[in-house]
Amino acid sequence: MKNLIKIVILLLIVDSCAKIPNTQNLNYSLGGGVFVVNEGNFRGGNGSLSFYSYDSSKIYNDLFYSVNGRPLGDVPNSMAIKGDEAYIVVNNSGKIEIVDQATLESKSTINGLISPRNISFINDYKAYVSSLYSDSVTIINLIDNSITGYINLRRTSESIAVAGNKAFISYWTEGKEIMVINTLNDKVVDSIQVGIEPESMAFDKYGMLWVLCNGGYTRQNYAELIEINTASNSVEKTFVFPTKEDSPSCLKIDGTGQTLYYLDNGIRQMDINATDLPYVPFILPESGQYFYKIGINPINNDVFVTDAVDFVQQGYVLLYAESGKLISKLKAGIIPGSMCFKIIINP
Amino acid sequence: MRYVISRNRDLHLKNILFYIVIFFSLPLHAQLSIVNDTIKIKEVVISRNKFSSDPEGYKKTIIDSSILINYSNRNLSDMISENTDIFIKSYGMGGTATPAFRGTGANHTLIDWNGININSPMLGQSDLSLIPVGLIDDVQIYFGGASMSLNDGGIGGTINLETKPEWKKETLISVNTGIGSFGQYTGLIKAKTGNYKFQTVTKGYFQNSENNFRYLNSEISSEPVWQTRTNNQLRQNGFIQELYLNNEKSITSARIWYQNTERNLPASLLTEPNSGERQLDESLRTMLNYDAYRGRSNFSFTGSWMLSRLNYFNPLALIDSRNLSEILILKASLENPIGKYAKLKVVIDEQSDIITSNNYNHKTTRNTSTLTASIERKKERFGTTILVREILDKNTLLLPDFSSGIQFRIIDEKEYYIKANVSRNSKIPSMNDMYWVPGGNPDLKNEYALIYEISYEMNLKISDPLKIKYDLSVFRYNIKDMIQWHPGEYSYWTADNIENVNSTGAETSLALDYVLNNLNASMKAGYSFTRAIAGGSKIENDISIGKQLMYIPENQANASFRIGYKNVYSSWTANFNGKRYITVDNSNYLPGYFINNFIAGIKFRLKSSSIDTNFNIDNLFNINYQSIAYYPLPGRSYFLKILVQFVK
Repeated sequence: MKNLIKIVILLLIVDSCAKIPNTQNLNYSLGGGVFVVNEGNFRGGNGSLSFYSYDSSKIYNDLFYSVNGRPLGDVPNSMAIKGDEAYIVVNNSGKIEIVDQATLESKSTINGLISPRNISFINDYKAYVSSLYSDSVTIINLIDNSITGYINLRRTSESIAVAGNKAFISYWTEGKEIMVINTLNDKVVDSIQVGIEPESMAFDKYGMLWVLCNGGYTRQNYAELIEINTASNSVEKTFVFPTKEDSPSCLKIDGTGQTLYYLDNGIRQMDINATDLPYVPFILPESGQYFYKIGINPINNDVFVTDAVDFVQQGYVLLYAESGKLISKLKAGIIPGSMCFKIIINP
Repeated sequence: MRYVISRNRDLHLKNILFYIVIFFSLPLHAQLSIVNDTIKIKEVVISRNKFSSDPEGYKKTIIDSSILINYSNRNLSDMISENTDIFIKSYGMGGTATPAFRGTGANHTLIDWNGININSPMLGQSDLSLIPVGLIDDVQIYFGGASMSLNDGGIGGTINLETKPEWKKETLISVNTGIGSFGQYTGLIKAKTGNYKFQTVTKGYFQNSENNFRYLNSEISSEPVWQTRTNNQLRQNGFIQELYLNNEKSITSARIWYQNTERNLPASLLTEPNSGERQLDESLRTMLNYDAYRGRSNFSFTGSWMLSRLNYFNPLALIDSRNLSEILILKASLENPIGKYAKLKVVIDEQSDIITSNNYNHKTTRNTSTLTASIERKKERFGTTILVREILDKNTLLLPDFSSGIQFRIIDEKEYYIKANVSRNSKIPSMNDMYWVPGGNPDLKNEYALIYEISYEMNLKISDPLKIKYDLSVFRYNIKDMIQWHPGEYSYWTADNIENVNSTGAETSLALDYVLNNLNASMKAGYSFTRAIAGGSKIENDISIGKQLMYIPENQANASFRIGYKNVYSSWTANFNGKRYITVDNSNYLPGYFINNFIAGIKFRLKSSSIDTNFNIDNLFNINYQSIAYYPLPGRSYFLKILVQFVK
């Protein structure tokens, strides 16, 4: 009986509240590199932030938790740097975490956003945030990090590309338009018909906007790659993917604005002057790999690709040289997704 | 009370049900006036799980009636999680709660109602938070291979809920009301009447709950802050009507169970606090049963028609998911003796599922036929069971399942048993796994498991007032072709037979009962250990291989102490769940928790009636804990219950 009482007392002591964090070494390099936003599982709350450092050639995981002592949120989707601050858009938490881009200490949080996806800076004072569920783009005041208004698109929004006084915003889920906003007065001024589900966009060195249209998940339509003249808001070129099974995503461009990259059964590479889509992948995934997002270093054209494996276990970041040679493979968080380059001009 | 739940529903079904209830209730009104001054109070046996000797060679336990009474205003999830080894994954008060039995998944546990499977054919599982314990008369737990004596597919086991008559000339009316923390109000009304030939039982239930408990949120800032749970209201009502006719050589019964639950679904601690998610679960279950007895032979026929609606709304994500399942089950069994010691049982089971869902391409039907033959032999101290089952699914015969059990009574006349069994049990994929758009895979194979179990059971009367029960079981499950959803070639996930899982473990429990004059006391302690390991997988370099499955605790323990003296009683239950990993590589976990509940009550007898009132304190030490990551569970809470009963 005495032993039983001891066991009961012991069990009472072995209680509960504190969660053991998956702590990592905080000494991540302050130099140049790339942030990797690990989405984590929907409602799993296991999204995180990683950083690959060029100085140490190492990856540092779970940085937001390590620095701030709390989880980043549910499904962080993207990140962008503006001056000393980095904006992390946390989709299913409906918020943007603003951190010091050097120390990653939390500086502010913008709450109350509806399923935010991406942030794009219009100028030093203003940013637009796209939304998966809301039919409006949210306007953020960058001075006090507050929500100052909404632009009603009557459509959901995904990718945002800004050129001059125009913002081009893609209507992704079940859409087939690019909405054009006058950034001076935040009004919709035009819309451009493109292919089904325009998912990602990039500007080339001539200022032409390239739009990758996925074709829709039901695979009833062909995917398209479209070139848009941003002065006239008109379609210049359309490349139709050869089969309905082609489901491309994640369009990026290199630092010179000359070479496009996207995912479609591996990483594809295409010159902006090419007359046809590339039929041979630039880099093929190995068996068991699931290429999820890519990022191109604008300085040296290194190709980063995330491998989400089975979307449940921790994924990897693969680093390839511009030539396509694998340089390193590094373990990241769960569902490593979009990347944000931290460029040090004079390191 | 504020409910955001939409009222714009089809009330037609409700109206029909209302008239059915009125019709069945009419005889009761006539009986009410003859309640007189003698009352009988049903004797409550203060002990926990009773062992049942059937089926031979398998483990089956029965939840004690005293526990059922204590939980009469609660749901099945609370009762199972606090009193058994079955781990419940719960999204918190009012939220979905699913069982994990011996390391298996929620869709590997069957919930039966009088031997008829009531798991949703779409999900392949049941939400235990929707089942009010007060509507149920008896809860039996069939472990592993034992579940094959009822149905196919219960790889982990089966929880069988019985509603049954008591053949006596008696009229009983009971009103059971409760009020508790976080805006909980419950009511349960039972009315039974009849004689040795006819019984009618009506039970009605309602529950309103705000579930607006306070919790400590340590996820949104480095300093924890107190917050109140929002968008967590629940409103539930339902009834069961049962009619029984005993014709000496046969029993005919008819049962109807209607239930409606509307609830708002709270967000995780990391998501937008009020996305306005809500869910409607409505079910109508009917059952006709005929059992005929001729000497040692018997014939049984059951026909069941069930309608189950599950509508989910997420205004933020513009999701309006509407799902209706119609299920028809016909089951016939014939049991005949073979010689003096053995009996043969043949069961034919036919199930038709018709699904109407805006998540499927079209109305989808599935027919499954099952033929089961079993022989049970019991001679002196040996008992054996052999069972063979063939399933015809979508016009394809599956590999036959089997189960074989052996039981040995160590000493004549004494209740010391050794039991062992080996089984192969298949689980056909759920309709969502096959037909959900996008990602459902109509070419899925069925999952199957090889199950091995050996157990020792003892039931001993040490002296006149003191009894002791002890059991120890060791089990091993090899689950093959387990279905998982994984990212497909396009931007959506798809279902596939991906994984193998090996689950090994042990369960043990000890119970002491002491009854002397006006004093009765019992003590019960149980412990289980489960290693559920991801085995081979189709993913190369899968780091989850060899790791414990997520949300399966290795260690679980529960203990209870109950004491009653004359008309006062009290009980203390304690429940421990060890740490549960929340990542497949076991790098992160939720810490274990140890929850204590306390009840004290008093019973009065007044002429023709009795009053039983008790006060519950749940989570006595106000532990802050989570069953699912970022879904908080309530701290200390209080509940007052009053049961008034009239018997004639």
